[in-house]
Amino acid sequence: MRLGARSVVLAALLAGLAAAPVRAEDLKLGMVVPITGAAAESGRFAQWGAQLAADEVNAAGGVLGRKLVLAIEDDQTSNPGGVAAFNRLASDASIVAFLGSIRSTQTQAMDPDVRRVAKPVFFGGTDPELTRGGDPWLFRCRPNDAYSAKVIAAFGVNELKLKKWAVVFSTDAFGSNGHKHLVEELKADGAEVVTEQGYANQATDFTPVVLAIKGSPADVIGSYFTFEQDLGIFARQLRQLGVRTPWVGSPSIVATTALRLSGPALFGTYGVADFNADSSPEAHAFADAYKAAHKMAPDNFSSWTYDAVKLAARAINTAKSTDPKAVREAILAVRDYKGVEGTYDFDANGDGLHGYNIVKNDGGKVVFIKHIEFAP
Amino acid sequence: MTVLLQLLFQGVGIGAVYALVALGFVLIYRATNVVNFAQGQFAVVGAYSMVVTTADLGLPYWLGILITLAVMAVFGALFNLGVYYPLRNRSFLPVVISTIGASIFITNIILGIYGPEPSMLAPMLDAPGISLGALFLDAQYLTIIAVTLALVALQYLFFEHTLLGKRMQAVSQDKEMASLLGIKVGWMIMLTFIYSAMLGGIAGILVAPILFVSVGLGGQIALKAFAATIIGGFGDVPGAIVGGIAIGVIETFGAYYISVPYKDAFAFIVLFAFLLLRPSGLFGEKVSQKA
Amino acid sequence: MSPRARILVYFVLAALVVGLASAVPLGEYMVKLLLQAASYAIAVLGLTVLLGYTGQISLAQAAFFGLGAYGVALGTTTLGLGFAPALALGLVVATLFGIALGMSTLKLGGHYLAMVTISFQQILTLVLTNWISVTGGPDGIRNIGRPHLPGIDFENNQTYLAACLVVLFAVGGLVAVLKSRRLGLAMQAVRDNELAAGVVGINTFRVKIIAFALSALLGGLGGGLFAGAFRYISPDQFAFDDSVVLLTMVLLGGVEAAIGAAIGAGLLILLPEWLRFLKQFYLAVYGAAVILIMVFLPAGIWGLFSRHRVWAPAAPVGPLELDIEAAAGTLLSVRGLAKHFGGVRAVDGVDLDIAQGSVHALIGPNGSGKTTLLNVLSGIYRPTAGSITLNTRPVAGLAPHVLAAAGIGRTFQNIRLFHSLSALDNVVIGAERPGSGISQRAAATARALAALGFVGMAERAGELAASLPYGHQRLVEIARALAGHPVLLLLDEPAAGLNLTEKQELVELLKRLRGHGLTILLIEHDMDLVEQVADRITVLNFGRHIADGSPAEVLRHPEVIAAYLGEVPSHEAA
Repeated sequence: MRLGARSVVLAALLAGLAAAPVRAEDLKLGMVVPITGAAAESGRFAQWGAQLAADEVNAAGGVLGRKLVLAIEDDQTSNPGGVAAFNRLASDASIVAFLGSIRSTQTQAMDPDVRRVAKPVFFGGTDPELTRGGDPWLFRCRPNDAYSAKVIAAFGVNELKLKKWAVVFSTDAFGSNGHKHLVEELKADGAEVVTEQGYANQATDFTPVVLAIKGSPADVIGSYFTFEQDLGIFARQLRQLGVRTPWVGSPSIVATTALRLSGPALFGTYGVADFNADSSPEAHAFADAYKAAHKMAPDNFSSWTYDAVKLAARAINTAKSTDPKAVREAILAVRDYKGVEGTYDFDANGDGLHGYNIVKNDGGKVVFIKHIEFAP
Repeated sequence: MTVLLQLLFQGVGIGAVYALVALGFVLIYRATNVVNFAQGQFAVVGAYSMVVTTADLGLPYWLGILITLAVMAVFGALFNLGVYYPLRNRSFLPVVISTIGASIFITNIILGIYGPEPSMLAPMLDAPGISLGALFLDAQYLTIIAVTLALVALQYLFFEHTLLGKRMQAVSQDKEMASLLGIKVGWMIMLTFIYSAMLGGIAGILVAPILFVSVGLGGQIALKAFAATIIGGFGDVPGAIVGGIAIGVIETFGAYYISVPYKDAFAFIVLFAFLLLRPSGLFGEKVSQKA
Repeated sequence: MSPRARILVYFVLAALVVGLASAVPLGEYMVKLLLQAASYAIAVLGLTVLLGYTGQISLAQAAFFGLGAYGVALGTTTLGLGFAPALALGLVVATLFGIALGMSTLKLGGHYLAMVTISFQQILTLVLTNWISVTGGPDGIRNIGRPHLPGIDFENNQTYLAACLVVLFAVGGLVAVLKSRRLGLAMQAVRDNELAAGVVGINTFRVKIIAFALSALLGGLGGGLFAGAFRYISPDQFAFDDSVVLLTMVLLGGVEAAIGAAIGAGLLILLPEWLRFLKQFYLAVYGAAVILIMVFLPAGIWGLFSRHRVWAPAAPVGPLELDIEAAAGTLLSVRGLAKHFGGVRAVDGVDLDIAQGSVHALIGPNGSGKTTLLNVLSGIYRPTAGSITLNTRPVAGLAPHVLAAAGIGRTFQNIRLFHSLSALDNVVIGAERPGSGISQRAAATARALAALGFVGMAERAGELAASLPYGHQRLVEIARALAGHPVLLLLDEPAAGLNLTEKQELVELLKRLRGHGLTILLIEHDMDLVEQVADRITVLNFGRHIADGSPAEVLRHPEVIAAYLGEVPSHEAA
């Protein structure tokens, strides 16, 4: 072990001094995930997804003939933790690219360091602003909230033909952004927002929200919930107080935990899902492999990291180099790549996906309805 | 009118949970003059014990409750020995910090063992609840209100009408005098911690079917319960009950009529007002120090 | 080491650390950690002042940290200000809120104060999260600016770190110096014994407000630097949990010394890094560590290294100047004074005249209202009715520190020294009372030593008050009152708990004081002592005065004998 570490240092020195060819070592991807804190559960799913992809890449011969390995750091489910974890990884010069956070504020917090480190960082946060800030190194492996809002609005207004909306959202970054976009999209689609109900995370009771919806003329609910517990409490109270209007929710409504916690209260609801096992043959194959390994169905926490690792491997192989600039060009050049989240066409901002699946909770089973895609 | 009654019911229901936890605060405060910042974690331990016994081991519900109460009794004793007893002769601050440390410790031990996934606990009764027209009374909330009332009554009988209860009261009023009377103060404090942990455990059992079981469960409730304790006047049992229910009702109405996102602020604003205008609490007498 | 040498060493050390931080390549990861530790340490220094010096608890330091951070963030982005004015904005806002919180200490302490600060913390978090139009809401604020100075590249993280360390060293030095200054001593007096602090002339309410304001200011300063360091902030970084972390830092490092803040902040930032191998259990270990620190390191880590050093005064002790302009007539006049607690009439219409230059004894059975009367005279209680006139000035109902400034000094039945300060510092605080005419520290020290010398305690000036034997503590308390150059000295059972030799010494001391013409009001149970020193005696029973006159007259008064009937007569009554 010690010898190995020493030889890496020596090799790095030699490479710096003489630009001599380096002996083939493992090729490292850095990964920032929550191992502790409120989001630790999703962190484990993220690791499983990424590891599955890495195993498949290695089984297929690795990257540039080298073995792909993941270097993992805990972000403690906090923004400073995320920044620290990223910097810790970044101090390892042999890391070629990174998997960042699924949380938008963490990605924002890391942004200055991402620019400084100047290596590709794949991330899953869905705040549309993240890729509009001019950071050339950020690449998104999930459709952003502008699309989730577009899809929720389009499906509800055009397919369900419902025009009086109640919008429920968490007041955190994810929820309030989703709320903002959904209201915009609904107005653009000619629907009316009759009540807007924000709540603070980790709420104990949703009666006031439910009563406000009940007392409004809303005939459909659009929602952005961050935590499944909140969603579960809301869903149960909604049904208890007799509200049966259709409900189209953000991805959390079809998350594994939400289905487990809420049971019948969520039956019949619609959700937008960036990942669905029935949306494509690729997604189906991923779901089978994931189930075989972990005895549970995958969700978007693992699907985006799976795609990110695959995309990184593909881009490095295409670039035939680990030079960050070359890899970046290779990622931006990706067209019509069939990932498990959807079909990737990277635009100039670094957004890979531009649509969502609509799924329905049919008696506790998530059923694929259709995929709605927009032009990049 | 229905809206009003529904809000009132829900407020009283969640307020009863605050009241139960507040009761634990009050008992420990009276016995030791210390605020136990890990009181919320007591509820978490109780809830997890229920999940392990009923969901994981498949034991009947009543047996799960009995085992949980036993677990909480042991836990309360260990808590006393590990967190309070070594610091019993120091000022309130080190003890408070020590209970905060205990809270961090318990949270993360549970997180380490059971992971962060929230678990489910079945409600105590099979029926979902009672519908009265448009009004819906959730069965679990009805259970919570009933159990809280029963516990308050039992506690009253215990403290006023049994020798042990009177001894514990004597300790909370004047330790020196109590020990002069031959009461073993250390044991009475031990019993207080045990009882208080059991109360916390009961709060956890009751609230878990509604809020799900996760390590975050305690923190949500504990601060409100602390606020209830202060509104009720520190160390005052009826005050804590009324305070808890008042906070539940105020925040539920405040959320509906004023703002949902600021819901958590209402309890604290009321608390501010109380502290500045009537720091002795609802029924309290005095807080000033003596020369 | 002389103070000057110590300052020099501190400057050299600071220059060295700052130089190293800016010159040695540390790696971005380490720089970020150090930036976090440095900005936190500045905020923790605020708690050193508030909790360590003044003894006031706050669970809202992260809120002040956040106010400073948001000041810089909003100032440099939305408002388009430079770094300095933005920081100033944040500091003003933080300090104003600090003053407001400090005001609540007028009525509240202990757990209540803890809850007020928690409430403030929670409400601020909610406002930062939900007032989206101003704070940017949960998204937070990005692209926060840094200072611009010609020739210095603050965009370089290590340069910025060096700047933060300069601020940290400056603030740390100031906080360390504060401890021995007049304000710092006043703070520690409030912490050790708030009641006694008021009686020796400290405006305790003002001191607590200043402590809160300073604490908030330093919290804001740390937060402002933090915002510049990380260039992105969001409300979840300034939540209740972070306040707990800051509080733990100050307690871990050592609450009584400025250096404790640096130790605590450094350790708690690095500890999670060191405990990473424990994976998901590291926070549990952290929690357990907090308990262990509380149990085994009550004074924090710095407490292991610092010990109170006993020293003997080097300067020769001068005589104590006590004489006051001798004027015949009544010094203090009390008419119809009453103090009721609910239905209890502790003092119920007492008249009392104390002649200039006399020793006036106040006696009576237990519960007759003597101590209550003294508490009213020294401002601890507000009278329910009646008037008090000191040298023709009406003084009833004034605050203790105002009465102290008017020249009323006192001691307590159960000794109230500032136990964690040296005997000398106790007396220096007395000498520095407003209106004593002393403002220079050297003069105050000289007078304090003289006062200690007067009671025979000069050699023990350098010892910790708490470590002195009981009898000596009494003498130090008397010296503390004398150092303030009082016109009227109130002594509450000075002989209580003294052995025979000590009692005799006390009698001699009182006689010497009378010789200097000092007016004394003395509560005492020991009739032997009273007879030896008193010029006049007033007897209280059930809150009313029942007799008044020379010792010989009073002690033969039938009502007095009746009142004492059943009580153990004379000497052992204490």
